Amino acid sequence: MEVESMKIDNVEINEMPTTDTETVTGEIIIEEISRNHKLLHRHKLSQQKIHIGRDYHNDIILADPHVCPSHLSIELNDGQWKIIDNQTVNGSYIENIKEKKHAANEHIVQDGDVITLGKSQLRILFTDHAVEPTVAFSPFESFINLMRHPLAILLSVALFTLIAGEVFYLSTAKEVNFSQLLVPTIGMALGFALWPAGVALVSHLSKHDARVMAQLGVSFAFFNFMWLSDLFESIAAFNSAAGSLLPLVMVFISIALAFSLFWLNGYIGFHMTAKRRIVVAASITTLLFGGSYLVQYSNKPEFNPRPQYDATIMMPSFLLASSSNVDKFIEDSSKLFEKTNKAALKR
Amino acid sequence: MKVFFTLIFIVLTSSSYASEQAEQLFNQLKPSLYQIKLIDKASGEKSSIGSGFQISSDGIIATNYHVISSYALHPEKYRIEYLDSQGNKGNLSLQSVDVINDLALVKRQVDHDMQYFQLSENTPHKGEQLFSLGNPHDLGMIVVPGTYNGLKKESFNDRIHFTGSINSGMSGGPVVNKQAEVVGVNVATSGNSIGFLVPHDKLVNLYQAFLKTAPESIKAQMAEQLTDSQNKLMTAILNSPWQEKQLGKNGLIPIIDVPFIRCWGDSNADKADALILTAVANCSLDENTYLSSRFFTGSMEIEFRTMQAKDIGANKFYRLYQQQIARAGAGNRADKENVTEFQCHHDLVMPDNNAINNKAIFCTRAYKKFPDLYDVLYLSASIDKERQALVSHFTIAGISQSNALAFTRQFMEAVSWK
Repeated sequence: MEVESMKIDNVEINEMPTTDTETVTGEIIIEEISRNHKLLHRHKLSQQKIHIGRDYHNDIILADPHVCPSHLSIELNDGQWKIIDNQTVNGSYIENIKEKKHAANEHIVQDGDVITLGKSQLRILFTDHAVEPTVAFSPFESFINLMRHPLAILLSVALFTLIAGEVFYLSTAKEVNFSQLLVPTIGMALGFALWPAGVALVSHLSKHDARVMAQLGVSFAFFNFMWLSDLFESIAAFNSAAGSLLPLVMVFISIALAFSLFWLNGYIGFHMTAKRRIVVAASITTLLFGGSYLVQYSNKPEFNPRPQYDATIMMPSFLLASSSNVDKFIEDSSKLFEKTNKAALKR
Repeated sequence: MKVFFTLIFIVLTSSSYASEQAEQLFNQLKPSLYQIKLIDKASGEKSSIGSGFQISSDGIIATNYHVISSYALHPEKYRIEYLDSQGNKGNLSLQSVDVINDLALVKRQVDHDMQYFQLSENTPHKGEQLFSLGNPHDLGMIVVPGTYNGLKKESFNDRIHFTGSINSGMSGGPVVNKQAEVVGVNVATSGNSIGFLVPHDKLVNLYQAFLKTAPESIKAQMAEQLTDSQNKLMTAILNSPWQEKQLGKNGLIPIIDVPFIRCWGDSNADKADALILTAVANCSLDENTYLSSRFFTGSMEIEFRTMQAKDIGANKFYRLYQQQIARAGAGNRADKENVTEFQCHHDLVMPDNNAINNKAIFCTRAYKKFPDLYDVLYLSASIDKERQALVSHFTIAGISQSNALAFTRQFMEAVSWK
């Protein structure tokens, strides 16, 4: 362990010379940040000594009641910034990625250090602090721009409502009239609108742009894609025999669609790294599909006396595959007996 | 007026004569009658009760299989005990069973030759008065007079139709004629004084076979009986004429022309607001072999259904049609201990005559305790007409693989459009 930490120190020293020469100019950036490291204010100062505290003499004035009137100062000495804590009530502490939290007095400031004073936090950066590379507009940007157009939103919501109405109509065993369909259909459209609205609300609350229209447009476009993938799923199930992989592929497509929707929701509503966005979208997808699988799994009885089979049938115009003959069906079915015999031996 | 008095007189005398005779018979037979109890070893309490009667001087007692079924399947958990007319108790050992006819032979220890029931050599004639003996609901031995009404029609395995009250607990008790000879064994009731008896010749066969060679293992004996029985049944069915019959406007379905499969029909032609006009034909084999209280086998159901859309399009018709076929279930009761879960196969199938195109589903589950016996389920739904459908479906319990596949093949080829 000792050796390892030594190595890290060496690396630091190798990197240090550039920073050393730069800091001589005496320019320093002090960011006021929130507890979860969100930026509140940013100050760029070019002076030899910076005073920070609660009273109005200071260069940076903090309203935090746990901060002393003259809390600390940062001084430039021989090209290095040093923190001087003025024997404060609650003290000052340094946090950075390399060291544990410790008292800040006499600490030589390094790029990226976070100082905790009272309940406030300051991050100190030097002018040569590396910034993230420019984020290019993603190819989805044009899709989002198209979908957030009010006309596009109107069309996708209308399409969604129409399909929902059709599905309600098709699966009701009684005769139904238009007004009987209207209530559940509009209810369903409103219910689905809760998702983009909720995402927009969360991004608004977390100090991001709400972008309600973009969220609505993109979400309903994807809801419509999902109707479409449902249809393809049924067609695949209808046209394939047991054991075919095609229905499974269709399930993956619907999972991929859900993932894409959540990814885009994140892209529109929140600033985060690409990796983090993928993780968040993947987690929500897993929660959705895994959760519904878990619910099914937990409802599954220990022994099911009923057969589980795929009963999907569709009208003849959806029939694409050619049929097997009786011999083939009998031969395939005969394989089941061996399977059940194995299950019987397992107990 | 004179005629009326005569009638009353005849009725009175005959009934008093009957009760006198019943009393006499009962006293004569009482020593060979037993209550049979299954005692749960762990709790020491009885878990089921029935009746039995001695049929040999060396202590062989006949009863129903279903009275001692728990012992046959779990000999380690139970013991069988008898209670005779004097209140003596003792243990019984299981000797042989006939699951198909619901009979069992148990044996008690005897020190000296004992009195026993004579088995009749003749079948009774219709209307003959018989006496059923047994211990209903643990209330004590009773005698019930009743009438022989021939063999139950439409039954693959013979049962005597007996008009007289048989109650639970009397199962396994003998039914005797006036000469005190056993002509049947109490087995079931369908209420309102309709009772069913196992004919005495089944008991004679079982006893003769037992005297020749006693079975080595009861479970193996049961497996053999189940296999033989389904072979006999399926041979009869596969070799009987299958008559083509029209169902609805355009469906052609097979009706298996054997007396033991009975069909019923229904339709919703009277429902003016129905979106789909449906006609259903149901055929079933009126058998249910009892193996345990949670496991029955030997049943068979066949169902055909035609559907015709009335005021709806093909898309909606097929949606509703799918709901109709989505939840087929097994025809017999069975539990985890005795069967596996179903395994299913489905495919689009067109028979070689191209007369229909179906989505066909075949499911099967294996019996855990009896080799090469399965429950099978088949369901097929036509998919070649826009607004018409023909569904054919069957379930068979306790059938061998080869019989199941042979039946399925014949069935698939027999259903078509007109």
